[in-house]
Formats: sequence, C-alpha cells, structure tokens
Amino acid sequence: MPKNLHQSFCVALLLLGLTCLNAGVLSADSLPATDNTEQGLTAEPFDPFADDGADLQVADPIEPVNRAFFWFNDKLYFYLLKPVARGYRIIPEPARVSVDNLFSNLATPVRLANALLQLKINKAVSELTRFIVNSTLGVIGLFDPGKSWLGLEKADEDFGQTLGFYGAGNGFYLVLPVFGPSNLRDGIGRVGDYFVDPISSPLYFELNSWEEYALKGLDTVNTLSLDKDTYEGIKKDSLDPYLFLRDSYTQYRSAKIGK
Amino acid sequence: MSRPFVLFTSLVLCALFVLPASGWAETRAIDDVRTTVDEVLTVLRDKAAPTEQRREKIRGLVRGRFDFALMARSTLGRQWKNASKQEQDTFIELYSKLLEATYIGRIEAYTDEKVTYGDEKTKGDKALVETSIVTSSVTIPIDYKLVQNVTEWKVYDVVIEGVSLIRNFRSSYGSIVEKEGFSGLFARMESKVKELEQ
Repeated sequence: MPKNLHQSFCVALLLLGLTCLNAGVLSADSLPATDNTEQGLTAEPFDPFADDGADLQVADPIEPVNRAFFWFNDKLYFYLLKPVARGYRIIPEPARVSVDNLFSNLATPVRLANALLQLKINKAVSELTRFIVNSTLGVIGLFDPGKSWLGLEKADEDFGQTLGFYGAGNGFYLVLPVFGPSNLRDGIGRVGDYFVDPISSPLYFELNSWEEYALKGLDTVNTLSLDKDTYEGIKKDSLDPYLFLRDSYTQYRSAKIGK
Repeated sequence: MSRPFVLFTSLVLCALFVLPASGWAETRAIDDVRTTVDEVLTVLRDKAAPTEQRREKIRGLVRGRFDFALMARSTLGRQWKNASKQEQDTFIELYSKLLEATYIGRIEAYTDEKVTYGDEKTKGDKALVETSIVTSSVTIPIDYKLVQNVTEWKVYDVVIEGVSLIRNFRSSYGSIVEKEGFSGLFARMESKVKELEQ
C-alpha cells in the first residue's frame, strides 16, 4: 500500500475518533434526526462539494480470490512485517525519516516520467529541481531541502495515474499478494513503473534479485516503522476491513488521478 | 471642505468598515473548524490530565461541532428510505455506539502533528474548509464539509486525501445491507460493539 494511503488512514482514524465521540449526544429517540427529516432533507443532503454525487460502486468480480489474498497479506503483516518493523523502531525516528527520504529521492524517475507522460510540466520541473537539490544539498537525498527550503512538494505520480489521466477506468478491484490493494489499471501501471524504478529496473545499476528484495523490504519496513498502527486500527474498527480498504483505495486513486 | 461632504464621507467610511464588520460577526466555517481543532489539540497535549477527563472534554468539543445524526443518515444513503422508522433509530443508536466504542482510544496517538489551514469555499449553506496535517514524513490534506445551522457551522463529512469517510462507509454498509439485510447489518454492528467494549 502506498505510504500516503497509510498516512491517510492514520488521520482518517484520528478524525473518526473525533467524530465518534459525538455519538454520546444521540439517544435512541434521536431528536436531531427527526428534525432533519421534517425539514424535508433527503436521505443524502445536497452536497455542492460532492465529486460526482453518485454512490461509490467498485467492480469486484473476483472477490473470493481477492479475499483470499487479503487474508494472506493480513497474515504476512501481523506475523512478519509488523514484528520486524517494531524491532526496527530502535533506530531513532529522524534517521528513519531520512531513510524514507532516500528511497523517495531514488524513486524520482518514476514520478518525473509520469509527470512528463501527462504533460504536467510544472510537476516535472519541480521533480527535477527537487532531485538535483536533494541529491546535492540534501546529501544524496537523506534530507528534503527541496520541500523545506524551496517549498516544492513531491509530485506523487505513477503509471496507474497516467493511464487514468488518459481515460482508463479502474477495470476491476484486485488484491495483489504482498503489494495489497490495486485494480486492473493500477496493476498494469505497477508493471510499467517496474521498468522505470531504479531499484527494480536493470536500466540503472545491476542488482541481483536478492539485493532488490532486500532494498524493497527495507523500504517497506522503514515505512511501516513510521506508521502508527493504521492497519490494526482499520482491522479493529471496520465491520468488514476488506470492504473498507477496497472503497478507500478506489476513492483515493480517483482523487489522485484528478490532481 | 464642506460640512455635508465630511458627514457624507464619514457615513460612507462607516458603511465600509462597520457593516462588513457586523457581517463577519456571524462565524465563518473556517473559524469554527479552527476553534474546535485547536481546542481538541490543546486537550490532547495536556498530558498531565487524567485520560478519562481528557476524553470527556474532547467528547464535548466534538459533539458541538459534528452533526452526527446527519452523518449516520448519509452513511445509509439510499438505504435510509428503505429502512423503517424503527430501523433508522436502531441504526443511529448502533452507529453512534460503534463509532464511540471503536475510535475513542485511537486519537491519543496523534497529538503532536501540526495542523495548517488553507482555503474556505462557501456555496449557499454549505462550506468546504481545507486543512492539512503535517507529520515528520508527509503532509496529508484534510477537507471538512460543513453545513450552516442557525448560528454556527457543523461538520457533516471529512475528506482525507480525496477519501470521503461518509462515502466510504456508505459503500461498505450498503454492501452488507444488500447481502444480509438490516438485520444482518445490525447483528454485525452489535457484535462489533460488544467486542470493542470488552
């Protein structure tokens, strides 16, 4: 799962935490709801800021298979990745943030290429500037002066978004083993990015597959170590964590494509 | 300068400055959001206070800012009309309990993040307020959707990185209702509430 999504969930849970606290105000006879009905509000209030107003419908024809992989990823998380990440937290947080910056800087070609493919010239220039500044002043990308000094935000672009930008729909929902929530479009996008990402692509430096997995593993564990038990929260809180993740992922990606 | 002219000018100036000022007296959505968020953060950061007391304070602050009944209804969406009055009431009650039981313990992990405020957009009695949470490694955009009550603004949805919580819940709950009916949904909610209260 992309790191930002993880982070989103952290905050989603925080805010829901705030939201739910409001619950106590409602008793069974629930006057506010009755009042709203009487004011003639429809079940859904008119929402001028809704994206398209429609209910979210996610095509999921292979749900049983997806649920099987979801189960697998869940075990992988709880029995392998999370315990490792917990132990890894012995490294001070600033150092882990720097490792995060380093991997992010290394992945610049993916964002740059996809910004260019979508003709988002401003983002492409920003990514290039960030790469030059962060690789030099930021000590091979350990720090992020591109953001802290120049105020240039990372342009989060990938090939799935590029396909979406040119009109590709979601296809259908997919849960990939190890990688997690995706869909047909983003799954294909992942393959595209594989050939541009310096760690996986043979275009840059020759890594054998063992080294490649080790680096990807480190990136994942490092990201998880910075996360505040988001997945545990989702797992504990949702009626059906599979559905929660499926719908969040779909909305999250649509919003990204629109940017 | 003639006296009437001076008088006229002062009147115009008064109109320019005083009238807008009285217009601003009614709160703006962004101010309401800011006030509540700041107060919640203050309570969360007061680590000396007992946990239960802090939760009670936050509960009060949030009750005042969120239109929880509206959120419960939006979550059911189309299904709201298919539900009987009794089912609607049961849903609101369970929804409230569930969220309360579920999330109360989770907020305390996120006390040290910085919140910044962006634009405010208003259309009729609805407003959208943009904020961001800045963590050590990322910036997360959070938009609040508010509806105007008589004197103040109430939150009816929160959109985080493009993910609307209400839309998300609606979809999950809708799938469950379609497959298992309201009784199935309520059974799940009830067992979840029990599980969380243990």
